Amino acid sequence: MTFKKDLSIDFLGVKCENPFFLSSSPVSSSYEMISKAFESGWGGVFYKTVGIFIPDECSPRFDIGTKESTVWTGFKNMEMISDKPLEVNLEYINKLKRDYPNKVVAVSIMGSTKEEWEELSKLVTEAGADMLECNFSCPQMTSSAMGSDVGQNPDLVYEYTKAVVSKTHLPVVAKMTPNLGNIEIPAIAALKGGAKGISAINTVKSITNIDLEHLTAMPVVNGKSSISGYSGAAIKPIALRFVADLLKHPDIRETHISGIGGIETWQDALEFLLLGARNLQVTTSVMQYGYRIVEDMISGLSYYMDERGVSSLDEIIGTALPNIVSAEELDRDFKIIPEIDEEKCANCGRCYISCFDAGHQAIDWDEEKRLPKVNDNCVGCHLCLNVCLVLGCIIPGEVKFKEGRTPHEVEIKEIYE
Amino acid sequence: MTRTIDLEYGKSMKRKLNIRTAMEEASRCLLCHDAPCSRDCPAGTDPGSFIRSIRFRNIKGATETIRKNNILGGCCSLICPREKLCEEACSRTGIDKPIRIGELQEFAIEQEKIFGMEVLKAPKDKKKGKIACVGAGPASLACAAKLSLEGYDVTIFEAEEKPGGVLTYGINPSRLPQGVVEHDIKKIKDLGVKFVMNKRIDGKKDIKKLKDDFDAIHIGVGLGKSKEIENKYINKNIDGVINALDFLKTARENNGKIDIGEDVIVVGGGDVAMDCAMTAKQIGTNISIVYRRTIEEAPASYEELEIVQKMGIPIITNFAPEKTIEENGRLAGVSFRSRDGHSTMNFKVDKLILAIGQEASLGYRDLKLSDGIFASGDLINGGETVVQAVADGKKAALDIIDYLNKKEAK
Repeated sequence: MTFKKDLSIDFLGVKCENPFFLSSSPVSSSYEMISKAFESGWGGVFYKTVGIFIPDECSPRFDIGTKESTVWTGFKNMEMISDKPLEVNLEYINKLKRDYPNKVVAVSIMGSTKEEWEELSKLVTEAGADMLECNFSCPQMTSSAMGSDVGQNPDLVYEYTKAVVSKTHLPVVAKMTPNLGNIEIPAIAALKGGAKGISAINTVKSITNIDLEHLTAMPVVNGKSSISGYSGAAIKPIALRFVADLLKHPDIRETHISGIGGIETWQDALEFLLLGARNLQVTTSVMQYGYRIVEDMISGLSYYMDERGVSSLDEIIGTALPNIVSAEELDRDFKIIPEIDEEKCANCGRCYISCFDAGHQAIDWDEEKRLPKVNDNCVGCHLCLNVCLVLGCIIPGEVKFKEGRTPHEVEIKEIYE
Repeated sequence: MTRTIDLEYGKSMKRKLNIRTAMEEASRCLLCHDAPCSRDCPAGTDPGSFIRSIRFRNIKGATETIRKNNILGGCCSLICPREKLCEEACSRTGIDKPIRIGELQEFAIEQEKIFGMEVLKAPKDKKKGKIACVGAGPASLACAAKLSLEGYDVTIFEAEEKPGGVLTYGINPSRLPQGVVEHDIKKIKDLGVKFVMNKRIDGKKDIKKLKDDFDAIHIGVGLGKSKEIENKYINKNIDGVINALDFLKTARENNGKIDIGEDVIVVGGGDVAMDCAMTAKQIGTNISIVYRRTIEEAPASYEELEIVQKMGIPIITNFAPEKTIEENGRLAGVSFRSRDGHSTMNFKVDKLILAIGQEASLGYRDLKLSDGIFASGDLINGGETVVQAVADGKKAALDIIDYLNKKEAK
């Protein structure tokens, strides 16, 4: 695929050839791995968290979520920060920057004391990194002095960010945990501490499956398991919500956000951009499919821009955000009655079942012809449309205004893939 | 009672994939490292990449990959013997059954039409030299497209009224609708390739003349002549005995509305024989296939044999035609003898269609390629697939470019 638009973008004053970055994780652990990723087209990397602490990892350490025959709906990871000595990581960072001057090397760091944060900040800056990311959010650290326990505590976030900023001239990004109610609180603490950007989100604390053989969670580590971070497609909706929360906040809205959570395709990526993220981080889909997935992200986003006549990402970033409003601001004057295309209908009756058992008994079933028909009970919830497996069979139809409401123009979504 | 398929002439037997069903199929793909399907496509169409693009919702990227690698990507998606190529190599076979690669390719090419995509862009000014491509079949089309993309001024000369060669005249339209052929050819025209139709370049003398006006010549005339049966008791000249290529062509030109009598026999075991049988069945005749060897030895693709079987067309193996029987100067019957010589079989026949292979037309037999004259496709490889002709045509284009570069350097 050679068709490419200019996908370059400024993130915290650093020019990135595209917004696609590897996140700090197993996929960004060494020089060899990251150089392969750069050759594949990734614009930059958040180098796997560097610390003074060297973790003692368990085996096995991963599990996946599934639904029906689909695997990897989500991914559970128990691995902690880099298991390499600090000197080795610093050497790799230095070499990456030397060999790939046009790629962006951001480095994730994590200390357990103020002094460690300061030292890491200084050393990584000297190694030649382009920016620093404070890991305040790993949910599977073996010490509560590190990771998401820190990220939930705004005072510690403030103190450690300040420590990092004091030892570097580079832009500092704070990586947020989703394992809390209001992400804005620690984010604002980080900004007060001098952070320039926010990454959101880290993984969601989870138990993916209970093993019926050993009566513990998955993965089974000698008969036991622990709660740890969940990522991948399943958490994209949660990540998008947190990104929107951040950018809606008056004290954060000008901040550059790096969006993370379940990005697999150019469309996923675009969704984060449309909410206002200026940088994107990916791990889980790389773990499943490899670095090569960036090729279709670059190509797909380029074709989208071409189709829309967009010449720079800046033109589209954040354009969906104003349309995400509070529940009370929604236009509730009407209902859109679904329209069922009898020609396309596969006569399965799933819409009928769902509407009866979970909706408003608004579909009649013609037993003879095996055809569904919408009746007057319909409230326009569109459960049927979401249940139907046939492309284009159930689509939004007539707009009916509630009694006493003034009819007006209503925008209707027409394309459901 | 076994149910057979009643397939109207020109109607397709498969429901096309849409974005949702294509995604479902692409999701079955194992997304292999060093994809074996891509390795096993002669033309380098690269299914490994385009299926991955579909899987990651980059449909336009998928189309781009196909069109860049295989200028006849639309046609190949329908007629490629995939079970011997990409789908045979498919790793998914190790679990259950291969990915429906052809259908995914067809889906992607369909999107090209819907979006009005122009994947290939050739230089407008053709300054690099003039090249004549003789014949408008797959090899010549692929060669011409590649040369035009590289900035050469290419003219295709074709004896028939329409371009496409075997694609337009030699395949049953239920397998390959004319619209698909025309869409692929339009992509070649859009590159600036000129087409001179109804112009037969008939062998050495004509080619020598062309040489005065062109810097190089590519011959891709294919095997345009049906082979004659070597049996003096089969009277080829009576009313009722026809050759396969003429039959398929007449049927296509008349959209299947031809009268060939009631009882029809097709002799042969290749794809052309199967296409003839399908066509004869669709026209409404009582059709049988008689093949001199076994099914295992038949060169027809599995898919073609399957269609014929599904349509309820009998295939009689190990019998060869021995003698035609005439009445009032026209064909009335054919007798066949078994391979082991023991049995004979007599048929009442209105039409005997001979589909026993093709050969080069007279002017191109024992063709010697002199300076600046190149050839590829069936004419050279002895009769292979369309996808092989695309591969050969592309390769011939590179040889021509190399030749012209060297000539210029002198």
